[in-house]
Amino acid sequence: MKLYEHQAKDVFAKAGIPIPRGILAVDEAQAEAAGETIGYPCVAKAQVLSGGRGKAGLIRLARGQAQLKEAAKTIFAAPQKVRLLLIEEAVDFENEIYLAVTADPAGGGALLLACAEGGIDIEELARTAPEKILKTHVPLSESLMPFRARDLAYSLGFSGEKAKQFAAIAQSLYAVFRAQDAELAEINPLFAVKSGGFVAGDGKLSVDDNSLNLHPEWEPQAGDFDSETAFEAYKEGIPYLQFDGDISLMCAGAGLTTTVYDLIADAGGTVANYLEFGGPNYRKGLKAMELCVRNNPKVILIVTFGTIARADVMAEGIVSAMAALKPPCLIVTCIRGTGEEDAAKTLAAAGLDPLVDTEKAVKRAVEFSRSGGRP
Amino acid sequence: MSIFIDRTTRVVAFGATGSEGSFWTKHMVELGTQVVAAVTPGKEGEKVEPEIPVFHSLRRALAQISTDAAMLFVPPRFAKDAVFEALDGGIRKIVVVADGIPLHEALQIRAAALSCGARVIGGNTSGAISPGQAMMGMFPYWIQRVYKPGRIGVMTRSGSLTNEVTAMVVAGGFGVSSLIGVGGDSVPGTRFAELLPDFQADPETDAVVLIGELGGTMEEEVADEIAAQRFTKPIVAFIGGRHAPPGKRMGHAGAIVSGGRGSALDKIAALQKAGALVAEKPRLVGECLRKALGRMYDRN
Repeated sequence: MKLYEHQAKDVFAKAGIPIPRGILAVDEAQAEAAGETIGYPCVAKAQVLSGGRGKAGLIRLARGQAQLKEAAKTIFAAPQKVRLLLIEEAVDFENEIYLAVTADPAGGGALLLACAEGGIDIEELARTAPEKILKTHVPLSESLMPFRARDLAYSLGFSGEKAKQFAAIAQSLYAVFRAQDAELAEINPLFAVKSGGFVAGDGKLSVDDNSLNLHPEWEPQAGDFDSETAFEAYKEGIPYLQFDGDISLMCAGAGLTTTVYDLIADAGGTVANYLEFGGPNYRKGLKAMELCVRNNPKVILIVTFGTIARADVMAEGIVSAMAALKPPCLIVTCIRGTGEEDAAKTLAAAGLDPLVDTEKAVKRAVEFSRSGGRP
Repeated sequence: MSIFIDRTTRVVAFGATGSEGSFWTKHMVELGTQVVAAVTPGKEGEKVEPEIPVFHSLRRALAQISTDAAMLFVPPRFAKDAVFEALDGGIRKIVVVADGIPLHEALQIRAAALSCGARVIGGNTSGAISPGQAMMGMFPYWIQRVYKPGRIGVMTRSGSLTNEVTAMVVAGGFGVSSLIGVGGDSVPGTRFAELLPDFQADPETDAVVLIGELGGTMEEEVADEIAAQRFTKPIVAFIGGRHAPPGKRMGHAGAIVSGGRGSALDKIAALQKAGALVAEKPRLVGECLRKALGRMYDRN
């Protein structure tokens, strides 16, 4: 669960990390009022979860009221459907640092990452000069020990008071990572300010989905999803991704569904949605098909090869969902695994052709989606 | 022979009194696995089918039986506690099927496994199976066109996709020596590359099929082992997610492309460069195996 910049910064501020003064605005008028309070120059920052906001024109500097009004207008009109703007004081900095805490899957702990050359090109730097990114493994059994934070500060080239301030921020960010059960807590850029000290120019915080029950304050809202259907799928616990092609995937298993997506793309087809109703969801055939039908697909493609997800139960769910929803599109089935013989009988009795070869099923779905035929 | 589990492995099953746990424990025994005890707090004195005694705790079980592996059917929020209980009891082979272990707990499980030199398989896995011999986990081993005994090792991050791809191994005229599901989480207890020495040493494994996916770096680590010639048997890989759009959380929790790393195409390139054969589609896995093993036999 990725949080918005303003949410991440609130968490950082409470942990003692300095952030710029800022006010949220939902429209141009509020943005203008915020500018008057903050003063100029200020920065208008779209609160969206996609990266590369600066390069996409979703972060704009305003030196006065007119510029801020123009910036707010442009950003709210952007195709990314911006709903919230953060108006922040512009920070006078001498350089930009990268600082992050993330999981270390191989080492079984946290990884503290820092780079003296932070800013928008950090990903490029990670590719071209990875040695410039300093990495420190931290065991989860400790709060970040002062010696690690100190070592990092000096290795980045800080000394004296600045080194102490940096070390304190690293310790605070690590504390946030642990307390929030985060996948990632990142400040990029961390401004080294001309007048002394540091300020978090940006904030990224991603909370582990499997730990969200411990953090009810981050419960996702409808607006966090690509579509209403995606939000509904989330509430049902059904993994779902919104696309806008012709074929609705109603498959089981993350790896298999991803592979079916690949095979459709290889065959020149397009996907309306990615949906998994395997594992604990294998009795949710009706709900799954209902979500697919919302996208008006030309074909619903059902591919499973389940173990816990019993094929016979899934087949029955599909047949009764078809009776209830009467989907106006072709249904292609390829259902294998535990109970597959009974599944094939159930599907055949309902007039479906129970395929057993994934590629054949994909081919049939793609051909049908292209010819645009109706059953 | 096989890796990780065989007929001699003595297994204690945690959470085997639940509906899912008892169903699969029964199947483990039917396949030939020795399940010597079950652990469920509050249920000591009961039995799990067919005749497995239940204990309140592992320590209490160990007073009466000996064991060398733990099968954990416990829910995700109890997984860390159960792993630590097994490690505390001296067990060094552990399978965790739980799907949804909190990330920071998965990291602590991994750290504990490393510090004890234990092999923890999972979470979010079907487990490990040596077809015809024994299994720990949840596999429909009765589907003969998937779980046929043979001489190909399989390692995978997936469940359903494993059935799909392994069916193609069998359709290609091969069978499986041992199949290990490392699991779909971003922090698995055991990484692909760590299984390679076992497959290398197993005289009954001629080649390994790797079923990978976008996200993380485990497939790249395998490529490094091949390139360094620490693993010298043929490897055929299938990698899902070639067309996954960046930034979308497609596939397992461990599968997300970020910052231009960990894409399926990166993994395919790394594996091919190291000398592995990559099957573009599941159907081509059998063909690639024939090609790879033909080459090996020619060299000999």
